[in-house]
Amino acid sequence: MITKAKEKTQIKVITGNAAAATAAKLACPDVVAAYPITPQTEIIEQISKFHANGEMDCELITVEGENSAMNAVTAASLAGGRVFTATSSWGLVFMYDAVLAAAGSRAPIVMVNVNRETPGIIAVSSGQQDMISTRDAGWIFLIAEDCQEVLDLVLQAYRLAEDYDIQVPVMVHYDGFYLSYLSEGVDVPFQEDVDTFLSVLKDQPQRTKLTPGEGLGCGSHGILGGYLELRHKHVSAMERSKEKFDQIDKEYEQIFGRAYGGQIEEYRMDDADVVLVGSGSMCGTIKTVIDEKREAGIKVGLLKMRMFRPFPGEVMVESLKGKKAIGVVDRSLNFGHKGGPFYTELKSFETKFEGSPMVSFIDGVANTDITTANVATMIDTICDLAAGKEVPEVTWVSYPEANDPDSAKVGGQ
Amino acid sequence: MAAKKGKLTKVLDHLKHEDPFSKGVAFCPGCGLELLLRFIPQVLGNDIVITGTPSCSAPVLLGQNNQSWHKLSYFGTLMTGAAANATGLARYYKKAGIDNTVVCFNGDGTAADIGFGNLSGAAERNEPFIYICYDNEGYMNTGIQKSGTTPYGATTTTTPKGSISKGKNLRRMNLALKMAMHKIPYAATATLSDLDDLAKKLLKAKEAKERGFVFLHVLAPCTTGWGHAPENTIEVCRRAVKTNYFPLWEAVNGKIKMTKEVKKPKPVKTYTELSKKFVNMTEEDHQILQDDVDYEFCILGGLSQLEGECQLPVSAED
Repeated sequence: MITKAKEKTQIKVITGNAAAATAAKLACPDVVAAYPITPQTEIIEQISKFHANGEMDCELITVEGENSAMNAVTAASLAGGRVFTATSSWGLVFMYDAVLAAAGSRAPIVMVNVNRETPGIIAVSSGQQDMISTRDAGWIFLIAEDCQEVLDLVLQAYRLAEDYDIQVPVMVHYDGFYLSYLSEGVDVPFQEDVDTFLSVLKDQPQRTKLTPGEGLGCGSHGILGGYLELRHKHVSAMERSKEKFDQIDKEYEQIFGRAYGGQIEEYRMDDADVVLVGSGSMCGTIKTVIDEKREAGIKVGLLKMRMFRPFPGEVMVESLKGKKAIGVVDRSLNFGHKGGPFYTELKSFETKFEGSPMVSFIDGVANTDITTANVATMIDTICDLAAGKEVPEVTWVSYPEANDPDSAKVGGQ
Repeated sequence: MAAKKGKLTKVLDHLKHEDPFSKGVAFCPGCGLELLLRFIPQVLGNDIVITGTPSCSAPVLLGQNNQSWHKLSYFGTLMTGAAANATGLARYYKKAGIDNTVVCFNGDGTAADIGFGNLSGAAERNEPFIYICYDNEGYMNTGIQKSGTTPYGATTTTTPKGSISKGKNLRRMNLALKMAMHKIPYAATATLSDLDDLAKKLLKAKEAKERGFVFLHVLAPCTTGWGHAPENTIEVCRRAVKTNYFPLWEAVNGKIKMTKEVKKPKPVKTYTELSKKFVNMTEEDHQILQDDVDYEFCILGGLSQLEGECQLPVSAED
């Protein structure tokens, strides 16, 4: 993150959830619909409070379940409104049919998903498995590292979702528990600056709206040729969203003095020999360990993924090619594959890396801390790989029992 | 003849707007759903926004068959979230100051079964739109399966006649009464044999949705699924009313009032004998259905009497 000193700032110590709620308030949505679920609840409590105090002039729909939250904001969005909702884990999958339909109808919704595990009701813990369960829904996925980025990403998400050339719903993810309840100093933008940032949308052509008496319809999507046309347009919009996001990040910097790099954030990558690829709150820890390792002469860098859908393959290849070893850290599982989801997807670009070998690290699922020691282990492993040693292809960092000595290996001369 | 003509004019008086549907739409001959769907915008106006789900209404209402279609604004929603989608539309129009009549038009599968949760939620929140359930007592579009409103004794493809079974062995739920118990501004039952009653209820619905949620439960027989002759659709509706199988009533803020008194109700068998779906019922089964119809009607009468005696909280009055 690049920060430039500004003349006027208002730093508030708030949680990730409060940052999300504050961003939603600043975006002035017409309709908010949401249902409580740990660890997202604080967002809708905050919004309800804003609403009750007259600070947020929106229609607030306190629905009877997440499925209705997504259906309500989809319809309101297609009618022409700016909308917001937030959820987590079971809530996200309870609205799954509507999540697909929202994407199918290209409703420019902004939703916050506070990442939480989904294998059983007592697994109330952080992890990106809920995100992975919806990754092929046709939404744009953005991931925040800290509370400041939660706020910034929600605002950037509106510019991306509602852009006339994009019109795809955006989900902003951040780690439950680690960020949802963590209080940090957050530079809260002034309303007039947010209005300026979002005013670009007003100058664009208006999207088609479902209006009474105008004989317009939507929601059925069509079959055969009509289906193919709509799907191809959707895929093309997803592709366009990559550069658009980079552009929005730059414009954000001009107004707010903060830029992250768009699709990816690079940390000490220029001269790095070995690289960890990560996302979300783990990146703060990884940066700390990188600084320590650098002092010991190890040239290690971080590629932080801020965008996961669409997959920012092109910029990642640019950033990673020629590196001596790459380790991808996944906070979720990819059932049917041994490596994690990010690893498996990045693997499809491997031939373009000019030989950089890759390994997968699974860590941080179900609230297991990705500690500085864990990160150091990961860096040691990729250093070994870079040095030509044989290392396991997949390592469950916090669960050594999983690491079978006979398991698949990479590297070795 | 003169009296009949007078009656007809009375109904036609309510049809102040154009029929927005083209001719030759993709419904079966004698389809109750089609008659209802054409009737609603002629009474309420063509500026309604109509929402519907995957169902028999989808091919025409939601533009799947765009060779013969309609001119209304529409939104095809998921069955699970039909009422929630209508909520989103109505709330946005309210926020934006856009005059609107959102008609959430769904079958009994959506209303009574898979979408009941959000129907009830919308009623509890008193959302400002009109929900119309066209009740054909089962999943007709997927090939005639049992739903929560399928009556006792009816044969469907999931309640088939077998060596140890001969149709649905459970009673139907009283969806309209359940909705009235939400104490919404307006709830009513209606059917296609009593179009004057239906038209008046639609107009009351339009007026009542300014105060909040409206639920209309319309019995709409399905010739294909029920196995009655296409020309008998209206007669089936008429007999449903005359046997008290489907009594016509309305409830303002939950206060129930009959809109059509049947002086001498006919045995329910005069209703069931028109449709093949009841063909597997024995005399004993008919007695069970008759008892259920009598019981439901008695409860309705009792409730309407009680509502008269009990003081409605001031907060529930408009």
